[in-house]
Amino acid sequence: MSEPVLPPHAAASAKPSRPFFLRRGPMEAVAVTVIGLGFLMLFQPFALVLYTYSLVTLLAGTFMFMIVSKFPE
Amino acid sequence: MSSANTAHSVVEPSARSKRIAATLVILYAVITMIPLVWIFLTSIKSPPDSISYPPKILFTPSLEGYCNLFTTRTRQTPEYIASLPPPEGMCDAVTRERNMVIAGPSNFLPRFTNSLIIAFGSTFLAVGFGTLAAYGFSRFKVPLADDLLFFILSTRMMPPIAVAIPIYLMYRQLGLSDTALGMMLLYTAVNVSLAVWLLKGFIDEIPREYEEAAMIDGYSRLQAFRKVVLPQATTGIAATAIFCLIFAWNEYAFASLLTSGSAQTAPPFIPTIIGEGGQDWPAVAAGTTIFLVPILVFTILLRKQLLRGITFGAVRK
Amino acid sequence: MTTSPHTYADKAAEAAVRATPEPLARRVRALSDKAIAWLFIAPTIALLLAINIFPLFWAIYLSFTNYRANRPNAEVKNVGLGNYSRVLNDPDIWASMQTTAHFVFWTILLQTVIGFALAYLIDRKFRGHAFWTTLILIPMMLSPAVVGNFWRFLYEPQIGLFAYAVSFLTGIPTSEIQMLGSVSLAPWAIIIVDTWMWTPYVMLICLAGLRSIPDYIYEAAEVDRASNWRQFWSITVPMALPFIMLAVLFRGIENFKMFDMVNLLTGGGPGSTTEVASIALKRDAFEAWATGRSSAFAIVLFVAVFGLANIYVKALNRVKQR
Repeated sequence: MSEPVLPPHAAASAKPSRPFFLRRGPMEAVAVTVIGLGFLMLFQPFALVLYTYSLVTLLAGTFMFMIVSKFPE
Repeated sequence: MSSANTAHSVVEPSARSKRIAATLVILYAVITMIPLVWIFLTSIKSPPDSISYPPKILFTPSLEGYCNLFTTRTRQTPEYIASLPPPEGMCDAVTRERNMVIAGPSNFLPRFTNSLIIAFGSTFLAVGFGTLAAYGFSRFKVPLADDLLFFILSTRMMPPIAVAIPIYLMYRQLGLSDTALGMMLLYTAVNVSLAVWLLKGFIDEIPREYEEAAMIDGYSRLQAFRKVVLPQATTGIAATAIFCLIFAWNEYAFASLLTSGSAQTAPPFIPTIIGEGGQDWPAVAAGTTIFLVPILVFTILLRKQLLRGITFGAVRK
Repeated sequence: MTTSPHTYADKAAEAAVRATPEPLARRVRALSDKAIAWLFIAPTIALLLAINIFPLFWAIYLSFTNYRANRPNAEVKNVGLGNYSRVLNDPDIWASMQTTAHFVFWTILLQTVIGFALAYLIDRKFRGHAFWTTLILIPMMLSPAVVGNFWRFLYEPQIGLFAYAVSFLTGIPTSEIQMLGSVSLAPWAIIIVDTWMWTPYVMLICLAGLRSIPDYIYEAAEVDRASNWRQFWSITVPMALPFIMLAVLFRGIENFKMFDMVNLLTGGGPGSTTEVASIALKRDAFEAWATGRSSAFAIVLFVAVFGLANIYVKALNRVKQR
C-alpha cells in the first residue's frame, strides 16, 4: 500500500501521524463496538430482523478486529 | 498541611473499618459454606432424616448413604431376610433393616476410577505437550507466535456443545466413542491450551542466562532444557498440572454427551443415583462428598497460584 | 562466574568427544534451534488441529448440509445457507438467546457488585483475611455439574434447606417457593447458583486489581484532602477497571455457553423458561438429531464467543502490562 495522503492538519501536528482509520487504537475501539452491537442484536427481544442480521454483524466485527489489530499504533 | 497520621491511615485502614470488613466477609464466607456443609451432613444422614421437614441439623449419623452409594440392593420379604445367616459387616446390617439385601456393587467405583484415569492421563499428556510448546514459544522466535498463541487460547473458549457434534461423529467413525482413550485425548486438547499459556509465563520468568551458561559449559540445547529449565520450572509445572487436573475432573458437558457406559466419568454418573421413589439423596451426597474432597485439598494447596491459573497467567500474584 | 574461557573450551571439547560415538545423539545435538522450536510446538499444534480445528471445520461443512447423525446412510445434500436462515429466523432459538441474555446480564451484574465489594472489604487486610479468602474461593473450584445437581435438593420445596430458610426469613409458605418448578422463579434459581459459584472468581481478580494500585496515589490524594468517597470513585474504581473488565468478559464468555449447571438444575425447564442457548443446541443436536441445522446454530454461538475472545485477549494484554 502506498503512503497514505495526510490531511493538512495532521501534517501540521508535531508527530507524523496516520489517519485514524489506519491506526490500531481507534480502529480496535470501532471493531469492539461492532462486536458489542452484534451482541445487542443477538440478545434484544424487539425485532426478529435485528436478530437475523446479528451473525453478519458479529462476523464483520470479529474480522475487522483481527485485521486492525495488526495495524501499527 | 496533612498530619502524620492521615498519611498512615492511607496505607493502614482504621481499626473500625477493619472490624466492619471482617464481619461482612466472615458472614459471606459462612453463608457460602452452608451448601457445602449441607452436602456433607446429608451424606451422613439416614434417608428418612434427609427428607424430614423442617430440615434436621441434629440427627444420629448413619453411613447408609455411603453403603447405598457403593451397592445395589433388592427388596426381600422379612421371612427371607430372617432366614439368612447373620449379616457380614455394617452395610449388610443397615440394608437388612430396610428389608433389603445387597445384590452387588454399584457402578460408582468403576465411574470414579474412570474419572481418575481420564483426569490423570489427560493432565500428564497436556502438561507434557504444554511444557514443550511453552518452551518453544518462550525461547525461540516462532513466526506468527502471537497468532498461534491466540489460536491456542481461543480453542479453550469454544462452546463445548458446538464442538461436541463433530467430535461425536468423528469418534463414532474412529471407534473412540465411549472409550477412556477418546475422553483422555479430548481433555488433553482442551487442557493443553491452558497449559501452554500458563507455562509460557512461568518459563519466561526463568532467566535465559542459566541455559546459556549451561550451553557454554557444553550442554546441548536439549540437555539444557532437561537439566536447567525443567528443574527451575517445577513449581509452575505442578501448579499447571493441578489446574488441568481440576478441569478434567470437573468436566461434564463432553462426558455426558460422549460417554454413556464403560467410559462414563463420575460427574454424569452421580446425578443418576436413584433409590426407591426418586433420587437417593444421602447416596448422592455421599458420592458428591467423595468427589469433592480431592478438589478441596487441591484448592487449599493451590491458593497462591489460583489467580494466575484462572486469569490465564495475566495476573501473577 | 569463576570459570575461565579456557575451561569452557575444554568442556566443549570434552562434550564433543563424549558425543562422537553415538550418531543419533550427534544428530539430535546438531538440531538447530529452529528445528527444536518446531519439534516442541508441533505436538500441541497437531493435537489442537485434530481435536479442535478439524471438528470445527467439519461443523462448518455440516452446517451447509441436511445431514442427520441418526441416519448416516441417507444422501447428504448441500442446502447452502438454508440452515443459517432457519436458525436466524427461528423464534424459539431467538427466545433461547433472550433467556441466555437474561442469565448473562444478571449473573454478571450480581457477581461484579458482590465480588468487587468483597474484594474491597478483604483489601482492608483485617486479621485472618487470608484464611477467609481461601474459604470463599472453594465453590468456584468445584464441579458445576455435581454441585449444581446437589442444589436441586436444596431447592426442593418440601424438604430443601433453601426453601426452609427463605420461608423462615420471610414467612412465605414453603409450598410456594418452587424454585425449579415455577416459571417465574426458575431463571433466578440458576442465577443464584451461578452467583454463589462464581462471585469468588470476580472477587479474586478485583482483589488483584485493588492490590495493583500503588499507595502513593492515595497518599497524594490525601495531601489534596480528597474525601474517601472521591478517592474511591476517582482512584480505586478507574485503576481497578481493567481487571473488572477482564473478569466481566471471562464470565460473559463462560456464561454465554453455560451448559452443565443449567442442564442438571432445570434441564431447560419448566417448559423452556431456562432453555439457554447451549441447552437449546443440545436438544437440537442430540435429541432432534438435526445435525446440519444444529451445526449452523453451533457456528453462530462459536462466532459470538470468538468475537468476545478477541476482546478478552486484548483486555488480558492490557492487564499484563500493569
